[in-house]
Amino acid sequence: MKESLLYLDEVSVTRGGAQILDKVTIQVKPKEMTGVLGRNGAGKSSLAYTVMGLQGYRPESGRIYFKGKDITDWSITERAKSGLTLAWQHPARYEGIAVREYLRISSGGKADEETMKEALDFVQLDTSYLDRMLDKNLSGGERKRIELSSVYMMKPDLAILDEPDSGVDLLALGDITRLFRKIVDDGSSVMIITHREDVAARCDRSYLMCHGRIVLEGSAEAVKRYFLSQCRPCPDPDAEEFAAEEKINASI
Amino acid sequence: MQVSEEYKTLVEIAEKTSGVFGTLGEADAVYVVVHANRILDKNILPGVDIQAEETESGINATINVLEGVVLEKPVHLCFGHLGDSGSQVINSNIFIGKGARAEFLAHCIFPNAVEFLHAMEGTIHIGENASFSYKEVHVHGPEGKIEVRPVSKVTLEDGASYFGDFTLVEGRVGNLDIDIDVEARGESSRVEVTSKIYGKYDDFCQVRDVVRLTGKNSSALVKARVVLKDSSSGRFLGLVDGAASGARGHIDCTEIVQGRAKAEASPVVTVSHPEAEVTHEAAIGRLADDKIEGLMAKGLGEDEAVDVIVSGLLS
Repeated sequence: MKESLLYLDEVSVTRGGAQILDKVTIQVKPKEMTGVLGRNGAGKSSLAYTVMGLQGYRPESGRIYFKGKDITDWSITERAKSGLTLAWQHPARYEGIAVREYLRISSGGKADEETMKEALDFVQLDTSYLDRMLDKNLSGGERKRIELSSVYMMKPDLAILDEPDSGVDLLALGDITRLFRKIVDDGSSVMIITHREDVAARCDRSYLMCHGRIVLEGSAEAVKRYFLSQCRPCPDPDAEEFAAEEKINASI
Repeated sequence: MQVSEEYKTLVEIAEKTSGVFGTLGEADAVYVVVHANRILDKNILPGVDIQAEETESGINATINVLEGVVLEKPVHLCFGHLGDSGSQVINSNIFIGKGARAEFLAHCIFPNAVEFLHAMEGTIHIGENASFSYKEVHVHGPEGKIEVRPVSKVTLEDGASYFGDFTLVEGRVGNLDIDIDVEARGESSRVEVTSKIYGKYDDFCQVRDVVRLTGKNSSALVKARVVLKDSSSGRFLGLVDGAASGARGHIDCTEIVQGRAKAEASPVVTVSHPEAEVTHEAAIGRLADDKIEGLMAKGLGEDEAVDVIVSGLLS
């Protein structure tokens, strides 16, 4: 734990009566790219929201440490100000806010035009995007890239990237990996939440999640091999619930 | 207070809140500055005719933008009162000639009003292939219960366009009752009406936007963005009637409610022609958590995040 930037110690979270994280213990080391791999519904995004401190994702047991401090009871803002941030899988569409303003907010109000240009270059967008509105005429992939450029502006100690590759059109896997590696080279650590084993395989180390539990930790390649040989798509939980209800109704 | 001081104060506020500096007082721009029922200053250019007379409680004005005239700079109508009580009644008739193009920016400035009535009643006629934009920005003080009653009847001829924008986000709303009635009777005429209002304390805001699409292939967008906090309340009635072949209309209303505020929205769509189509979307509620938390994850406090989202919504 001493050498960890982020350390989760047996964190459990229950939401809507269901246990979504079950005694999760993970660590992210400084300047490391850590992958969290798992099928849809494994609890990966819930893990990201718990680390960021979102409403409804407060641990019922276990503690979260960041840079050696217990941040379990900290607000989202306190966590962000201490150097932790989250790039969302589905970035919000803020009406009436231009990309320039969004990047300025992400930089803590300190950004100049040159830095914003760098941030857009980083995700292969040009400066014409600065005047575009976040809620208008941007594809899902463009919004995702802008979200990643906002992480670049923040220069956090740890960036949690929730499914960063999904919807990022036109970027090849190699480009995406280079983008994450650049964040690490600039001094940040990255935790990548993904359901793609080829993305997780590019990390320094990976965790495999299933049903809210960490089932494997190891080298990215070893986790990838295990994932490919052992993991099968989970049944749709909604469909399962529906089937159970149907069964009950039929019995009545 | 001297007339010159009143003029200076009104112009300063108008420029600050509109972001348009230097136009008022310039020789190449059309403007009228009115305090209470007195015309403090005006400038009229060729192609524009303004007949204005002072009445007991305000101004009666007839404004003509002549056929084919294109105004490069916005026409500024600055109506204000720096006192804390009284009334101002503006009656106006605006005619935009065939093929003309004009943008009016009305500044309604009442920074000290506590017990005050500001009523504007007007007609707007937009001629064939003319384009007219009317933006009304209100600036009220932090105290008081000003009553605001803007009533407009707008008609559009063939190929005409109308863009109406009402903004009241500075200071208290007081008691607001907007009543806009538009008839797009011309073929391929086009209407956009937007209202942006920020209610606080026990403010009451009522917006009634009615657009009748009676011209073939006419179109309309009625948009409302209302943010209500504290114990304020608001009611939005948007009605678009598709009554001609090819008419297309849409109502888009978002009301954000905070604290003990109450909101009501009635987007009404009617279609009386088989080849017309009118749609609507309305959302009332609190700001979405993911939007607030998204900005908090960038380091903003919760209140700061709400302010940024509300500012964007009302911008």
